[in-house]
Amino acid sequence: MNRNVWTIVVASAVVYGLLAVLMGVVPGIVLSNTSPTEGLQPYTPEEQRGRDIYVSEGCEYCHTQNVRPLKQDLVFGRPSIAGDYAYDTPELLGDHRNGPDLTNIGNRQPSQTWQYIHLWNPRAVVHDSIMPRYTWLFTVKPKADPNDVVIPLPAAFRPSHGAIVATRDAQDLVAYLESLKQVPLKTKASK
Amino acid sequence: MSVSVELLRDNVEPQDSALFSAFILTATFWLLLTTAVGLLLSFKFPYPDWATSPFLSFGRLRAIHTNGTFYGWASIALSGAAIYIAARTSGIPIAGKAWAWFSLVCYNLAALCGTVTLDLGMNYGDQEYREWIWWVKLIFLLGVFFSGLTVVRTVAQRVEREIYISNWYTIGGFVFTLILSIVAIIPSYQIGLGQVAVQGFFMHNAVGMWFTFLALGATYYALPKLLNRPIYSYALGVLGFWTNLVFYPIIGAHHFEYSPLPWWFQTLAIVFSVGMLVPVWSGTANFALTMRGHGETVRRSYALPFIVVGVAYYFLGSTQGTIEAFRSLQSIWHFTNYTIGHSHATMYGFITFIAWGVIYALLPRATGKRPSAIASGMHFWFATIGVTFYVISLSVAGTLQGLTWAAGNPFIASVDAAAPYWVGRAVAGCLMFLAHIIFAYNVYLMTIAPRTETPKYEPTPRKTVSA
Repeated sequence: MNRNVWTIVVASAVVYGLLAVLMGVVPGIVLSNTSPTEGLQPYTPEEQRGRDIYVSEGCEYCHTQNVRPLKQDLVFGRPSIAGDYAYDTPELLGDHRNGPDLTNIGNRQPSQTWQYIHLWNPRAVVHDSIMPRYTWLFTVKPKADPNDVVIPLPAAFRPSHGAIVATRDAQDLVAYLESLKQVPLKTKASK
Repeated sequence: MSVSVELLRDNVEPQDSALFSAFILTATFWLLLTTAVGLLLSFKFPYPDWATSPFLSFGRLRAIHTNGTFYGWASIALSGAAIYIAARTSGIPIAGKAWAWFSLVCYNLAALCGTVTLDLGMNYGDQEYREWIWWVKLIFLLGVFFSGLTVVRTVAQRVEREIYISNWYTIGGFVFTLILSIVAIIPSYQIGLGQVAVQGFFMHNAVGMWFTFLALGATYYALPKLLNRPIYSYALGVLGFWTNLVFYPIIGAHHFEYSPLPWWFQTLAIVFSVGMLVPVWSGTANFALTMRGHGETVRRSYALPFIVVGVAYYFLGSTQGTIEAFRSLQSIWHFTNYTIGHSHATMYGFITFIAWGVIYALLPRATGKRPSAIASGMHFWFATIGVTFYVISLSVAGTLQGLTWAAGNPFIASVDAAAPYWVGRAVAGCLMFLAHIIFAYNVYLMTIAPRTETPKYEPTPRKTVSA
């Protein structure tokens, strides 16, 4: 075989470099310029901060944000289109559904109270849920202040004394979840 | 299991042996730590209210498990093997050992910093297998660069006429991974859907252009060495190299089928996923034909059974990957636990078993110290039964999840359907982790334990050149 090691280095670098440009860089550049779906709003600073919490806590490992054009996905919303992700960096399409898709969760579950209870203890609202608790997004105070967001809980899931108060992290995260609403498509085909 | 084979020792400098030992020792540390994390995670499925501090939460630990096993365990173990093999096949000591040590420091520093930062909730946007934040990635890249440089420099100074096929694969792996990492780390063209395209490219290439190349390269050396016969076909090895190089980079988008990525882009990925059968089947055939008629040697060796299982999972896991890529099956299996089964068939059944086989084959020859035969046997059976049970559990769980969704049941029905198999997976995980503890004991015996026998040096004359 070849007697010069640098031939292998250079040849494999050239071939792979070319493929990396074709299959990674060029699609990246082209698709980064996708224009937003008509009517799609950028995130508010509060929602963006909530999105950072979502990323930081790794929510994407169990929740997709990608409604496929398949019958079983229509329960989550209309099929996702390219423009839906124009403001989504980092992207959070995900590839696991240990929990349901959240693309349209703001419409599907508009109750903030439900979201707070669910984050404090998912099993308080969904008996068989395996979602982790996010107790560190809350503080337990002996007595809540008037401006506090207090989480109402059934007795079985409440600490014996004190009030459960949402921290700013929890409030921003819920603001982000509530913002996840698909923009209706304006096409001739829509019924 | 009788292991009465005489221990032959490679005629190596003590410094080479120490360097190789250090790579394997630190890799073993990361294997133990990050699979302990994996085991903890598996128990969170049946017991979600267990270990609920932020630092032990699923969302943070999952990335520690995946990145730690990839870049702590497998990368360090296979880089160490690649360096050692480069020296063996070149007939000279490892060239520029100081830089190889520097590389090892970088790898470990990256794994340490990556683990700590991920646990603090600092990650690169949940992008699978590249969650480490940018400066941690740069430290890791330095490790890749200097390990690769060591291999290239050693091969460049060889006294053998030919460059052995192993070095093609390993040098390729280092070169591809450097290019891939640079492509993946630049943020300017990774906005929204653009990042999805780069992510599909990255996550698959990180496996198939790095671990696959390092593991195949190591197999091309260890297998003929253990069997004491040449590889069946050099040409098949070269065919595998080029077809893997050309086909693999095109298949990344099959991770995002039915997503808003362009439809033709997904179709292209599916077509080349079928093309991957060429390198996979030719590679498997090459290894199988090399082993043909040597069943007794396999049975008597503590290293060969690992390579046999590794090659079997290379064949099964990769072929499964091709089948999974078809749209009809993706519509059921995508987003389910089936893919976690697949990733363990490949990264564990294939990559990790090959790493173990190569370590058991080469480390005793480097240090002159043997592993325990009984412990090797236990390691082999616990790991083999464990991973097989793991893959079956999650394949069933994933299929049930997908079918439940397709039937239009409420989402929680898929959780209930998969629940028993998650317990099965946790049990399998216990077996696998037990195997890792036994392996760690064997690594101790092969490296830092006191010497118990005087091995014979391999009766080939040593060739020396100035390094």
